[in-house]
Amino acid sequence: MPKIPTQEELEQRKRVQINAETVTNAQSNDFPHHWPGEDHSWNLDYFKSQFRVKFEKNERYDAEFSLIGLDTSVANAFRRILIAEIPTLAIETVFINQNTSIIADEVLAHRMGLVPLTASRKGLDWMSWYREPTEEDRGSGQPMDYNACQLRLEAACTWLDDDAINRANRGETDPNKLYKNHSIYAKDLVWVPSGQQNDKFEEPLRPTNPDILLVKMRPGQKIELFVQAIKGIGQDHAKFSPVATASYRLMPTIDITKPILGQDAKKFARCFPKGVIELEKVTEEEASEKKELEGKEGELKAVVKNPMRDTVSRECLRHPEFKDKVKLGRVRDHFIFKVESTGQWDSDLLFLESVKLLKVKCERVKRGLDAMMG
Amino acid sequence: MSSQNYSYNPSGQQASAPVTAESGRSVEYTCGDCDASVQLKRGEPIRCRNCGHRVLYKQRTNRMVQFEAR
Ligand SMILES: [Zn+2]
Repeated sequence: MPKIPTQEELEQRKRVQINAETVTNAQSNDFPHHWPGEDHSWNLDYFKSQFRVKFEKNERYDAEFSLIGLDTSVANAFRRILIAEIPTLAIETVFINQNTSIIADEVLAHRMGLVPLTASRKGLDWMSWYREPTEEDRGSGQPMDYNACQLRLEAACTWLDDDAINRANRGETDPNKLYKNHSIYAKDLVWVPSGQQNDKFEEPLRPTNPDILLVKMRPGQKIELFVQAIKGIGQDHAKFSPVATASYRLMPTIDITKPILGQDAKKFARCFPKGVIELEKVTEEEASEKKELEGKEGELKAVVKNPMRDTVSRECLRHPEFKDKVKLGRVRDHFIFKVESTGQWDSDLLFLESVKLLKVKCERVKRGLDAMMG
Repeated sequence: MSSQNYSYNPSGQQASAPVTAESGRSVEYTCGDCDASVQLKRGEPIRCRNCGHRVLYKQRTNRMVQFEAR
């Protein structure tokens, strides 16, 4: 007769233990033939009943949410797809007519490639892949309105006025008081819409962050160029990655096994980031119920308020007075995702897109297996 | 010293060599001292019209160059 595990035991099974020097119980164990007599074969209905999504923060360029009840392999697949496989538009080719600044052409081109762009979602969805010209197919690889966007950059630095040069000779060094156009920013890249782009893009294509410094110039220096932005994926080059950050961490847990009181409680709270541990007065009820709290009524006691904010620094384990009173850990199937979009997608839509892409991949594998068996 | 002595004549031909169509075109240089732009035609002395400095810099080509933003 198989033993049916208690809820408490199930919780302990998926608890990663974080000790002073070691991390234990890190591997998952919810698979068939691990626990005698228990069936852990994967089941869609069971997964549906257990799986939960909880949003902590959902802003356009910054989202934080929890996925509870799934395996690391799946959570990690989402993370990797977010970073490397969701397409965005980025500057790929730079045509330089004139560049007399001190930044070398190839360095300037590289800098511009890394500038994140943004536009209306509808327009970006409409854009298709640009294909490089091939030897076999003459005339292929033409940039068209549906696969390439053009932006221009034209700038020349001049003296601010006729007297500026004299002020410079007298020792003035503030560039704002001497030169015009001495700093060229991402916002100076101007979109030149062509063909259908005029209708398809509801908002103009522009750099997400207008104040990225591209070049500094001095009087007489000039830049004249245009660039082509195409769709690509992060696997090809990091500039195509739609996220600045796409990462997850496991939910931290703090279990206070013996009460921490008075001055110790204050010190204990200081071992954690603000808001994780709070101090509460021991109530009459608690004092009468628990032996350790007898006669401690009204004293301050450390309680866990918000373990999610903990950085798991293990500072509390360094102090001998807390060593045997607290257990640190993480929940193996509670993933706290943080997704920061670089501008082309809303952060929450990015995650949904990663789910969609994983689904497409699975279907491809399924078709491959069917073809192999049939 | 007359500036005429410094006219550039690499082939050793006389200054009165046959005039080609090229000779009519002027090229823009930048003075090495006062930063003024100097238009020079073929055979003219290499000298800034503004300050008389004899070092002139050739300007970068206007021809388009293509780069990959990688
Ligand atoms: Zn000069």
